[in-house]
Amino acid sequence: MTREELKSYVEGHFDGKLKSLDTGRYDPIFEIQPSDLITVAKALRDDESLKMDFLCNLGAVDTCEKLEVVYSVASTTKNLRLDFKFSLPYDNPEVDSIKEVWPGIDWYEREIWELYGINVRNHGNLKQFLLPDDWDQGNPMRKDWDAPDFIRMPEV
Amino acid sequence: MPDLRTQEYMVNMGPHHPSTHGVCRLILTMDGEKVVDIEPVIGYLHRSLEKVCENRTYAQCIPIMDRFEYVTSMSTNQVFSLAAERLAEIEVPERAEYLRVIMLELNRIASHLLFYGTTAMDCGALTPFLYGLRERELIIDLFEMTCGQRLTYNYIWVGGVSKDIPPEFEPKCREAIKIIGEKLDDYQGLLNENPIWLARMKDVGILDPDLAIAWGVSGPVLRASGVKYDLRKDDPYSIYDKFDFDIPTLEAGDNFDRYLLRIEEIKQSIRIIEQALDGLPEGPIRGKVKANFKPPEGEVYCRIENSRGEMGVYIRSDGSKKPLRVKMRGGSFNQLQVLPEIVRGKGYYIADLVAIFATLDIILPEVDR
Repeated sequence: MTREELKSYVEGHFDGKLKSLDTGRYDPIFEIQPSDLITVAKALRDDESLKMDFLCNLGAVDTCEKLEVVYSVASTTKNLRLDFKFSLPYDNPEVDSIKEVWPGIDWYEREIWELYGINVRNHGNLKQFLLPDDWDQGNPMRKDWDAPDFIRMPEV
Repeated sequence: MPDLRTQEYMVNMGPHHPSTHGVCRLILTMDGEKVVDIEPVIGYLHRSLEKVCENRTYAQCIPIMDRFEYVTSMSTNQVFSLAAERLAEIEVPERAEYLRVIMLELNRIASHLLFYGTTAMDCGALTPFLYGLRERELIIDLFEMTCGQRLTYNYIWVGGVSKDIPPEFEPKCREAIKIIGEKLDDYQGLLNENPIWLARMKDVGILDPDLAIAWGVSGPVLRASGVKYDLRKDDPYSIYDKFDFDIPTLEAGDNFDRYLLRIEEIKQSIRIIEQALDGLPEGPIRGKVKANFKPPEGEVYCRIENSRGEMGVYIRSDGSKKPLRVKMRGGSFNQLQVLPEIVRGKGYYIADLVAIFATLDIILPEVDR
């Protein structure tokens, strides 16, 4: 399946829950509704022609207007890869945990909780792990956060 | 005699334990001498590299990526350059692609030699460490003569490579891979029939293939469990599709197979380097790239096969000269995550745990970023 075929296949299946975006520069990227996350993840993993069994990456993005969460998944048997993402509001962002679909997402979800302040429902082990134990200065990966002793690089 | 009361107890292994390959703390729940459960505690090496990258131009990010995984920093350079090239649609000259492949494979060999040495040392055999590092030195010398650095190379740049190889590189490189290829039998002779080594390796730390895939384990660890998945073949990048090489896999998924598989991978890397040296074309080494290029708005997740599994980087561009977001993904992150699943309930000793940790080939800067 080429990237174009993958794109049209995913758009045509899954009840239109994945909408194709044109921001992806290599692999196809789709937008979903946050409430569909668990259904979509399970469907992608269990679909016979996709078999997206491998979670590559989970990253959050702060665009200064909203937060985005991007899931990168791949198939180890079909050599396919795609991303899907959704936006979250700046206040009280929450996502569902999909540990039941890909257990390896555990620490990635802890990371977005810790660094971006995105609450992960039903995760069960949201503990600080990258930041120091006595950290009380908020979520450092957000764009409105600057370190107290931060000196911006001179423009080149 | 009164009844003896038994209970589980906790032991802290690390953060400065010599066999944790960096700074990692493992909270062990012990039942006598046996490990019942284990909880890795990371973050001691967190340098917020992702945040640092947001304040730099794409070219300035490359030396930061070096620090992400310094044992194979050619790969970190490559994955970031590749992602930036895909974002900004930059062409790479053919000679640069060949040089990249040569450097990436040399770096893979160097990393596996380090693995060979440190793993044996963790199990109490000191000689392999000296042997492994002796041959690794040949490769480090090659890097030094090309880019001046022995550890953080800053060699692969967006659009090409930073410097061409000197004329004496090719004969020295051929000599180095010939020596390493010949020494592989010596390496295995030192360990393969050593009963102490086998006791820690055979049937210890078995990782089931389904479990491995579900937990995102990749690279040699996954292939030692019998899953033939290598991004050089399955999601080809650079010019890997031009070379003829095999993807070795083994079935047992224990410590011993993970060790043997890396020895096999060295042989395949030597094959690739030989072909690349034979076919190395003349030409420019860098495409036309502005110092402060501005990729169009968009996003890309890009991944390559590192010696520790899938190394990926997600870059989001907002059309300015600095990335809006850089997310790094290293194989060690998932390998450390799956460690409790391997150990839990199997009744391994701490010495077994040290061997499992070593054969998963975890390095902590990649986990903590």
